[in-house]
Amino acid sequence: MSEEFEPRIVGFLCNWCTYAGADLAGTSRIQYPPNIRVIRVMCSGAVDSVYVNRALLEGADGVLVGGCHLGDCHYQSGNYKARRRMVLLKNILQTLGMEPERVWVKWISASEGQRFADTVKEMVDELKKLGPNPARERWNI
Amino acid sequence: MKLYTLPIKEGDAPRTVNEMLRRLLIDKKVDAILAMTETPSRKSAFPTMVSDPEKLATNVFTPLLPVSTGTMVSRITKLRGVDRPLAVVLRSCELRALTELVKLNQADLRNIVLIGVDCLGTFPMNTYSSFPGKDTPTETLLKGENAEKYMRSACLNCKDPTPKNADIVIGVFGADPGKELFIGARTEKEEALLKGLGLKDVKDDKGRKKAVDEIRKMKDSRRELFIKEKSGIKGMDKLSEFFDTCVNCHNCMKACPICYCKECLFESAVFDLEAGKYMGKADAKGAYKTPVDSILFHITRFNHMILSCVECGLCEQACPSNIPLMDIIVPIAENAQKEFGYLPGRDPSEQIPMIVYREEEFQDVGE
Repeated sequence: MSEEFEPRIVGFLCNWCTYAGADLAGTSRIQYPPNIRVIRVMCSGAVDSVYVNRALLEGADGVLVGGCHLGDCHYQSGNYKARRRMVLLKNILQTLGMEPERVWVKWISASEGQRFADTVKEMVDELKKLGPNPARERWNI
Repeated sequence: MKLYTLPIKEGDAPRTVNEMLRRLLIDKKVDAILAMTETPSRKSAFPTMVSDPEKLATNVFTPLLPVSTGTMVSRITKLRGVDRPLAVVLRSCELRALTELVKLNQADLRNIVLIGVDCLGTFPMNTYSSFPGKDTPTETLLKGENAEKYMRSACLNCKDPTPKNADIVIGVFGADPGKELFIGARTEKEEALLKGLGLKDVKDDKGRKKAVDEIRKMKDSRRELFIKEKSGIKGMDKLSEFFDTCVNCHNCMKACPICYCKECLFESAVFDLEAGKYMGKADAKGAYKTPVDSILFHITRFNHMILSCVECGLCEQACPSNIPLMDIIVPIAENAQKEFGYLPGRDPSEQIPMIVYREEEFQDVGE
């Protein structure tokens, strides 16, 4: 029997909301799949496209960019800028046929532990359907 | 725009335009002119800053784009704008690039008169320097018959060869460059500048507008066809094949007028990793080629510059491996710019999409 494919997700979570939301999921003992590796960033607006592209090209099956709800950004407008940047990134991936559906953006507040857990679950389910990232096997990129 | 015609002397358009520019210098209307000038060997030409009228030997039609004049204006004015009047002659892609650089706070247009010239296209540097035809490159270009077979792909599929946001326009489209050219002035200030240059008033535009509309329409449909043809580069396999010959020299980035960063992220210490990380990377993937990150570089560069990409094709011309970069860049630029309703070089008062936002847009993202 072959092992079931377990997607690997890299999460870039903002310090003020989504990271605290993930923390809350943990302290509240909400169960969610262990497929996500979290990297804390100060703001979703600080996530340059290079981070996301790097994760994808190194073979991550999914990337989650988590930020505060719109209007709640600790730096006023970081998540609005993140939104534009991720729309651009996904648009470019789309043109290149590089599976933009591997990149997720979610606004999750510090009080939404359940929403964080649900997001990871949902992402794992979707990525299982999508299958492994072909970049993982590419040695020549 | 007020329109005039410039009668061409002895069928020599470049020289007649040069004489007109010389007049601007002699009459002290400008203190210097930055325009394409052939090198003594005639193998190349560069935007050259001339203040001595005797030394003015420009050819504004030179079918060569060694660098973007937009980049040169940025380099000259970045620290501080010029404090004496300077006229700069640019083709359409260079004007678009300069407009973007001004928005990015990389150029200062004070005291600069922008002279835009209708662009008939440019040839690759190597073709230009050892030109095979009997005529000179410029003669071939102005005659038009055989010019296309030498032309760069970026020029064949140019999005708009007519100058936008110029103070003065030198117009070829709709005119017979052996007999006369159009000269346009944006405002009364430029009209004053053009006084005494031997220009003739034009009534009912002599078909100029129609010719410009036609050429734009032709270019639009050509570019559309190009995008359709080239949209086959899709997916990891095709993409890695496309960039297989990339040697990570970053020449494309250095030639790009929009890539203005003093130090590119990809040439910074961010990418200096300890040996253990390189070994670990091999463990993770099983194998990887060095130098690393060629596709990461290209995709990230697209993310950083594509919304301002003016499609000058300097990246493609700079590539030592002859990767046809425009094949991939034009479709990406088209889709990305459409997403944000943005056209680089269209309007100097617009802001770069990545520094502004609207609350009510892309509302499905993040929910």
